[in-house]
Amino acid sequence: MLNSLSIKSKLFAGFGCVLAIILGLLLLAYNNFSKLSTASDWDRHTLDVLDQTDQITNAMLQIQTSTRGFMLTGNEAMVGPIDKEEVRVREHLSKAITLTADNPVQQERLKRLVPMVEDWIVSVINPLIAKKRELARNAGSVQPASLVADVVEGAKTMAAIRALLGEVADEERRLLVVRSGDSDALEKSMNLVLSAGGIICIVLSVVIGLVLARALLTPLNNLTFAVGQIAAGQKGVRAAIVSRDELGKVTDEFNRMAQFIEESQANELEASNQLRAKVDTLLEVVSKAAVGDLTGSVTVTGADAIGRLGSGLQTMVDNLRKLINNVQKAGIQVTTSATEIAASAKEQEATGIEQAQTSVEILATTKEISANTAQLLKTMEDATAVADYTTSATADAQGNLKRMDLTMQTMVSATDSINAKLAALSEKASNINSVLITITKVADQTNILSLNAAIEAEKAGDAGRGFSVVATEIRRLADQTSVSTWDIEQMLKEMQSAVSASVMGMDKFSEEIRRSVGEVRQVGEQLSSVMDQVQKLAPQFDLVLQGMQSQAVGASQISETMMQLNDATQQTVDSLKATSEAVHQLQYAASDLQSSVATFSVSG
Amino acid sequence: MKVLVFTIGPDRYGLPLRAIARVLPVVELKQLPLAPDYVAGLMDLHGEPVPVIDLSRLAGVTPEQVWFDTRIILVDYPAGDGGTRPLGLQAEHVAGIDSIDPEALRESGVAGAPFLGQVAGSAHGMLQLVDVDALLPPDVRALLFQPREAA
Repeated sequence: MLNSLSIKSKLFAGFGCVLAIILGLLLLAYNNFSKLSTASDWDRHTLDVLDQTDQITNAMLQIQTSTRGFMLTGNEAMVGPIDKEEVRVREHLSKAITLTADNPVQQERLKRLVPMVEDWIVSVINPLIAKKRELARNAGSVQPASLVADVVEGAKTMAAIRALLGEVADEERRLLVVRSGDSDALEKSMNLVLSAGGIICIVLSVVIGLVLARALLTPLNNLTFAVGQIAAGQKGVRAAIVSRDELGKVTDEFNRMAQFIEESQANELEASNQLRAKVDTLLEVVSKAAVGDLTGSVTVTGADAIGRLGSGLQTMVDNLRKLINNVQKAGIQVTTSATEIAASAKEQEATGIEQAQTSVEILATTKEISANTAQLLKTMEDATAVADYTTSATADAQGNLKRMDLTMQTMVSATDSINAKLAALSEKASNINSVLITITKVADQTNILSLNAAIEAEKAGDAGRGFSVVATEIRRLADQTSVSTWDIEQMLKEMQSAVSASVMGMDKFSEEIRRSVGEVRQVGEQLSSVMDQVQKLAPQFDLVLQGMQSQAVGASQISETMMQLNDATQQTVDSLKATSEAVHQLQYAASDLQSSVATFSVSG
Repeated sequence: MKVLVFTIGPDRYGLPLRAIARVLPVVELKQLPLAPDYVAGLMDLHGEPVPVIDLSRLAGVTPEQVWFDTRIILVDYPAGDGGTRPLGLQAEHVAGIDSIDPEALRESGVAGAPFLGQVAGSAHGMLQLVDVDALLPPDVRALLFQPREAA
């Protein structure tokens, strides 16, 4: 029953019980305290009544004393307080009657006392006083006996009144004793109630506290234990639900939370297993690709990260495969190109060798030229010697110079005439040439004409047969003309060149002759100057000689250059061989490349 | 039959005389840009433009130079529209007229250029006949002989 209550209800119920007990105890104590108060009121009431009786007694004694004093002294001053005391007696008596209204016995006694006191005052005191005064006015008279009797009578009444008052006081004291006993009993019971109530209250509070603590702490302990076990990694742990209060709900929610966490962990484990499987698949493809097998394809797809990784890897492997394919093709192309280069390098090498041979031949020719030049030089040297000889001979011929001069003069004029004739010949030859050109044109046109004539004759059929023969003859004539013209042209060209050479030679010759004539004339005039002039011929030979020598030097330079060229050609051949070697190495490298790339398998 | 003998490269070829209108000396030709390379150009024949074909180039042989016996052979070429048009054929070494015994003509048996026909042996070596009508492919014929505008 306690378990189905909420914590609030439990707390309210426990503290409510404690509060109820304390309230009961308070009510009991209040009741007892009011009883105790009533009892003490009654005590005071009794003491008041006793006080009134004492007051009455005192006042009466005062009256009696004052009366006796007056009686003895006759002093009027003594009579003064009696009236006041009489009033006090009546006053206290009526108060006592009022106070004892609850007690009929005392009431009856006091009412009996009232006439007695009135009687005492009126019939005893007042007559006594009056009699004394009478006596005092009748100075010297003796005190009558009746007066003494009145005093005794007054004493008796006085005694009766005091006895009655004593009864009243006794009655009141007895009541006081009874009421004090009640009061004590009440006090004792009060102490008992308070002590017992306090103990019960404490015990009950402890019991309720224990029950509440148990009801609150048990589910908390269960929950703490379960949390500790889950924190330690144990699975399937649930906290027991022992109550339906808030802690029960908390435990229920905690159990649901633990269930949810376990399910989440299971889902996570499953997802991580799937991920591992996908990664293993990818890893397999990557491992194959790492050893060169690019045929693997990635089957992992999807929009998640691993799927995109898979498709990215697939794209990468595809690209790599295309790349390797291209590299393989490029390797084959490189090999082919290298083979072609090697072939052309061999051809070049062969060409270079031919060139080298050619240059060797040229070198030989150049050497021959050089040798020829040397021979020529020697000849020129001979000529120089001859010139020297001529110089000496000139000296010998000194005597003949005059005659020679004449001859030379004749020669000059003859040369001039030859020159003029040669010029005329050249001009004629030019004329012949122009005529020949005309003849050639005519022959050509004749040729075309004959062809067209033959065509027309053919078109004319049988009628044109005779004409055809004529056309053939014309053509033959034209051809012969052409051939003859060509021959004449050739001859004319030769003649022209010969004439030109002759003209030049004659020009030179006539120049020489003219100069010689001048020299001879000078020699004729003065022998020494003739000698000098003759000697001037020698330096000219020297010039020629120098020219020949420089030619020889030039020839040897050419020979040297040719040798250098030969060396260069040889170097070219060597370079070509090196190129060939390099190309072979390129071929090997291309083969290596191909074999390297061949380790990648891309098909499939 | 009589043929006009000329050479293409080192070989001798014959053009039947019946097909020939005239033989002309080589003249200055007006070039025809964007025409096939064997179209040598346009010649002025008495004020009339006549296209000229270089036979050597047509046969795929580039002539070295214009020789003294290089000629333009004028033929009447069937222009496709029923009529004929004058067409110049520039030929090298036009040697002259030669007679060929029709009995000696043989089929060459080898499919070369479409305009080459029968062959005949002679003292100067073999000679192959040239068929004028088959000289030009149809597209070039259409190119060279645009239909005359209606007057």
